[in-house]
Amino acid sequence: MNSQQSTAASTAANTAANTAATVEVTIDGQSVRVPEGTSIWQAAREAGIEIPALCHEPGLEPVGVCRMCVVDVGERVLAASCVRQCTDGMNVETHSETITGHRRQLTRLLLSEHPSPCQQQQQSGDCALEALGAGFNLLDSSDPAPAPAAADAPNRPRDHSSKVINVDHQACILCDRCIRACNDIQSNDVIGRTGKGVTARIAFDFDQPMGQSSCVSCGECAAACPTGALIGKTLTLPVVDREQMTGVETVCPYCGVGCAITAWSHQGTIVEVEGRESPVNHARLCVKGRYGWDYTLHPDRLTTPLIRRESAYPKGPLSPEVTDSLPGRGNKPGGLVDLDTVMPAFREATWDEALELIGEKLTSIRESHGSNALAGFGSAKGSNEEAYLFQRFIRAGLGTNNVDHCTRLCHASSVAALMETIGSGAVTNVFADVARADVALVTGSNATANHPVAATFIKQATRAGTELIVVDVRRNPIADHATHFAQIRPGTDVAFYNSLLHVLCRDGLIDHDYIGKHTEGFDELQSLVASDYSPEQAEEICGVPVKQIEAIAATIGRATPTGGGGSMIIFWGMGISQHVTGTDNARCLISLCLATGNVGRPGTGLHPLRGQNNVQGASDAGLIPMVFPDYQSVTDDTIRQKFASAWNRELDDQPGLTVVEIMKGALAGSIRGLYIMGENPFISDPDANTVRQALSNLQFLAIQDIFLTETAEFADVILPASSYFEKIGTYTNTDRRVQLGRPVLDPPGDARQDWEILCQVSRQVGLECNYESVSEVFDEFTSLTSNYHGLTHQVLGTTGRLWPCPDPETNDGTQILFGDGFPTASGRGRFVPCPYMPAAELPDDEFPFVLNTGRVLEHWHTGSMTRRSKALDAIQPEAFVAVHPDDLQKVGAREGQRLRVTSRRGAIELTARSDTGLQPGSIFIPFHFREAAANTLTNDALDPDGKIPEYKVCAVKITPAT
Amino acid sequence: MELLRELLELQHQHGFLEQEHLENLARKRGVPRYRLEGLVSFYSHFRRTPPPKRHIALCRDVVCRMNGCEELRGQLDQLARSDPDLEVVEVSCLGRCDHAPAVAVNDRPATAATAAADQLLEDDTVDWLKRPDQHHWQADPYDDPSNHYGTLKQLASDLTTLKDTCLSRLGDARLKGMGGAGFPTARKWELVAGESADTKYVICNADESEPGTFKDRMLLATLPHLVIEGMVLAGLSVGAERGIIFLRHEYSLEQQALEEALQLATQQGILGPDAAGSGRAFEIEIFVSPGGYILGEETALLEALEDRRGEPRNKPPYPGQVGLFGKPTLINNVETFVLAVSIIARGPDWWQLQGADGFDGLKFVSISGDVNQPGVYEIPVGTTVAELIQQAGGVSGTEIVKAFLPGGASSRFLPADRLDTPLDFDAIQQAGSMLGTGAVIVAAEGRDLFDLATSLVRFFRNESCGKCVPCRIGSHLAVGLLDRVADGSASPDSLDELTPLALTLEQTSICGLGQVALVPILSMLEHFPHEVPGS
Repeated sequence: MNSQQSTAASTAANTAANTAATVEVTIDGQSVRVPEGTSIWQAAREAGIEIPALCHEPGLEPVGVCRMCVVDVGERVLAASCVRQCTDGMNVETHSETITGHRRQLTRLLLSEHPSPCQQQQQSGDCALEALGAGFNLLDSSDPAPAPAAADAPNRPRDHSSKVINVDHQACILCDRCIRACNDIQSNDVIGRTGKGVTARIAFDFDQPMGQSSCVSCGECAAACPTGALIGKTLTLPVVDREQMTGVETVCPYCGVGCAITAWSHQGTIVEVEGRESPVNHARLCVKGRYGWDYTLHPDRLTTPLIRRESAYPKGPLSPEVTDSLPGRGNKPGGLVDLDTVMPAFREATWDEALELIGEKLTSIRESHGSNALAGFGSAKGSNEEAYLFQRFIRAGLGTNNVDHCTRLCHASSVAALMETIGSGAVTNVFADVARADVALVTGSNATANHPVAATFIKQATRAGTELIVVDVRRNPIADHATHFAQIRPGTDVAFYNSLLHVLCRDGLIDHDYIGKHTEGFDELQSLVASDYSPEQAEEICGVPVKQIEAIAATIGRATPTGGGGSMIIFWGMGISQHVTGTDNARCLISLCLATGNVGRPGTGLHPLRGQNNVQGASDAGLIPMVFPDYQSVTDDTIRQKFASAWNRELDDQPGLTVVEIMKGALAGSIRGLYIMGENPFISDPDANTVRQALSNLQFLAIQDIFLTETAEFADVILPASSYFEKIGTYTNTDRRVQLGRPVLDPPGDARQDWEILCQVSRQVGLECNYESVSEVFDEFTSLTSNYHGLTHQVLGTTGRLWPCPDPETNDGTQILFGDGFPTASGRGRFVPCPYMPAAELPDDEFPFVLNTGRVLEHWHTGSMTRRSKALDAIQPEAFVAVHPDDLQKVGAREGQRLRVTSRRGAIELTARSDTGLQPGSIFIPFHFREAAANTLTNDALDPDGKIPEYKVCAVKITPAT
Repeated sequence: MELLRELLELQHQHGFLEQEHLENLARKRGVPRYRLEGLVSFYSHFRRTPPPKRHIALCRDVVCRMNGCEELRGQLDQLARSDPDLEVVEVSCLGRCDHAPAVAVNDRPATAATAAADQLLEDDTVDWLKRPDQHHWQADPYDDPSNHYGTLKQLASDLTTLKDTCLSRLGDARLKGMGGAGFPTARKWELVAGESADTKYVICNADESEPGTFKDRMLLATLPHLVIEGMVLAGLSVGAERGIIFLRHEYSLEQQALEEALQLATQQGILGPDAAGSGRAFEIEIFVSPGGYILGEETALLEALEDRRGEPRNKPPYPGQVGLFGKPTLINNVETFVLAVSIIARGPDWWQLQGADGFDGLKFVSISGDVNQPGVYEIPVGTTVAELIQQAGGVSGTEIVKAFLPGGASSRFLPADRLDTPLDFDAIQQAGSMLGTGAVIVAAEGRDLFDLATSLVRFFRNESCGKCVPCRIGSHLAVGLLDRVADGSASPDSLDELTPLALTLEQTSICGLGQVALVPILSMLEHFPHEVPGS
């Protein structure tokens, strides 16, 4: 990027607030006053005059190629109203007979190449071209569209290679909407025009079939296509006319971005999901959101309570793929839990029987071994209400604070650092505000895979001039948009950021005024980074050249008063948090923002990109062993009394155990009973072989889930729950936006709503738990918090509210936090100096490679949902290990070959993929695949503050599989 | 510019653009693949398969069609069938209509006018074209190379005077742009000079590619110093420091002449950090177009310079305000720069005296088709078409004019009774056509005008960029219809369809190409309705 662009961007950002001058135009005799720069098309629209257009819609950069929107502005020829700007005194005619005649002619021309009815017209009757044609009486009149000579007709192919989209080039009208959707909106840069003149058509990459191109199947192109040229493949039943379907405005069930969606259903099944306009996603979606919903209709859904048969004891894993992953036994490729093998271990039961058994077992353990022999894992996939009820059940019903959830495995260290330094664990600004940032830092985050829609905003910002710095051990696609990409050695984040702070302090690129007013502890930080973290020292540790460290610091310096007065926002992911130094890593990022004064202003902030759709909310609602809802400490007597009286129970005054500690407790025998709702620790927790032993060792395990997961194989009782699409509840996204998810379908069979199940099990253990509705649960939860104060289901509407929201009736909520100090005891943000410490398990001669784990775009966590989504499974069907081509050569393997990857804790076999984005010596394995579960290998060493395991670094060896 | 140059360089090195090289280029430059695909598939000069040993590009357009390119094509195809090392392709106008049928053998210009097809197979039997001999044109104010750039040198010491002199002289002389549209030159310079941006560009549009048009080719070869001088004067007038000559790749001979002149000008300090002693920098570089008539459209040209597909922009804004890389950009045609120097050197009064019969100035015209000595002629404005034909050795063939195009492929056919029309913007317009690019194409009695008009429409169809619907589909449908009428599979009545279609093309197309694509056939139908086959 050149400096010209960035200057332009910051100028644009600075002047965006200025009110533009206005111009007055006359459109069809109506006088209209609009801001300067408004297109005629837009001005007409505002005056209630619809000008037809095929290539344009609001939100797209106008291109004026279909010419349908031509109007008469009194010039020699007509003007395309979508691109022509209004000028003062302009007189516009939009619908004269002549103009209509030209529109009709243009429609005829397009129809002459268009196979009417195209697939879209056949399915849903809403091909925009054919609608125009019908309006002009061109489809079955005596004046048919002129047919081109057969020999001249461009013969354009069909392309069915994509797993999600059918391409019919013949139906394409070259409106370029898909091109702008792909490149401008999603910044995926796949679609363009190929050829010239009458042979021109759209093409993917180097005119490859769509399915073989670099397309990431986000479907934005198909959503933008006005005809049947790009159309979603049928996932359940074919899409029909909108009027025959039911549309429910809800939210995507996958990641923390929380995209607004409309789920369309027909004949009792969802048939399509489309992006919905909201401040979160502006109607954009990714492949999971758009095509990954049919898991909810999968035949494997649990529909009746199950109880383990007497013959299936002693407990252990049941399905062959899982048992086969044990050390010393061969691996087989495999997919989901094989129900034929697993189901014989269980018998169907009535709800009463299953619930009574749970109540009886949990009560008996509590009576014989005490409350702290029990524990519960809630879920960040469930709603706030479910999270609230779950921790209430564990805390008040079972009497223990041993309640945790998978936030422990993702951002626990980030939250620990944030709570410690700025007194709040949530983001200080929303991700979309990257548009106003001069500098953005993305670190330890494969954002295009894990937060794809948030990544579109980051990529778009870079096009408008935001300078992007990417720091990562892997070169991920987001780095393609970066000004600087620093590839650090695994686990050396602290040294890297300390050296940036070193240079910034050295060069005076810090905000002294801010530091003085709003922070404490800067001197200690400065002295640490000054003495031990020169760029030269950091280069030794991180492998990043001095020159690059200096250059990155200079860019960050632009976001300081002395360096240019700009702004910087920092995004981070698990690459920061999932280390034994995860809390230190986050502390460094916080120090970077505090030292440069980049909190509390537009375009600034700390934004840990939250993983699960409700990981923010589940934490807010108290699925954390140390705190009640809204981060209120369990050790504080006043707080505890508040909750004790609300729940009418004495409460434990000691913080409970965290996820990995509970597993270790199970292994040691101190945890005897466990209740898991919607989590799958067998696949998601580190060191799967130890988890297996721990789960086998439990005296009693109850599972509440929608599928029989790998973890459920160890269960005594399994309760069939409801999927996201079957229930109402609120979810809090990474921005702190609380949104209402609404039911689209009924739960299958005897499956029940999760909140009802939680009320029932609560009552089974003697806790009163009676609510009329989910919104009543929400009201009880919000009444016990300050951040959610004032929010109700009703006020959330269709686009939700950001917490805190002082006036929810009229206000969207607080976007930027901490403009003036922090909710800490001193009111100041705290610098916590962190010396560099290496990862817990470093490579050596026997295990010479560093294993990094994470996700791929198409899959979600343990795959229980996404691997049951037809399209997602088809795109990414198998486990793989990504290896640098040099390393592949070194171990004597080729891409596509099966490799055996072994750590001190286990071994798996999977297919090799060559990946130049890795640094030699590092490999990457996604953790979704049970048949080659990455967590068989990972190390369960914990960060001392966040108690998060080090998923990102362990030592392994790789050998060709025999 | 960088990306297209890199692609041209890759092709130059390897003979074609190999997929692997394209992948590497995308990676190296961080350019999405779709962008390279868009470029490589758009520009006609790029090829993606290994070139044959002998590659013959044969012009298919109107003048070459009148001179037997069809027959030649038939012969060459025959030869190619038994020779795997020979590839014969039809291409759009090569800009050498005075040597029709024009060919390029392994990208080297030649003529097949006197040769049998098999003479094109061996280098030593090919009739290669050479750079024209130096010729003294009236427009050249310098009778000796030692005086070159005298006007510029004289004015350069005082930039205010330079600008005032240039603008007032061009204004008083009423010089119009010679690229076809005829926009007043002084007005254009003034507009760009009036823009406040700190970076501006001067571009010489040397991409003439319209059938029958080759006058700029002659000027580039024989008056490159005036092109350069004109650009420097323009640059110093409008406040630009960078000039670009956008040259069609088929003009390799002329490129040599330009390069030599540029080198000399740089040595003499005319170009460089202190251009002609003005105290201001001005540099000129040549950008070789990767091919396509549409790039002569000035915003398509800008898109190409910005490494995008050469698809014309929606206007306004015009290049004078928002041009290359968003900066104010002065774009003039080759001849305009040449004549500008002539006027600035000798003043509007001299200019006025050059015209004939009360008309002002000089004009370079290319004349081709049915004349005995096709070529470029420098004429006093006001010279009639008939007089020009006489200068060009008279009508060939049947020796009687049936019809003529006064201003290139996009002008309207005129019948022989308008031969006394003076070659002047207004006069030709009054006669029902336009002076356009100053390219006269003469058709003698016996010519199939329907076929010639169809060939012109086909040219526009072939060269349509495809960006907008009316041009992309409308021109194609028209060609299909004309072909069917020609072979008798459609009735002459079906041509009625063309009138409303032409109106839609004219009124709704983004650029001039689409707007005029059906003009040749409609004017031919107007004047010669009985020429329609089957009528």
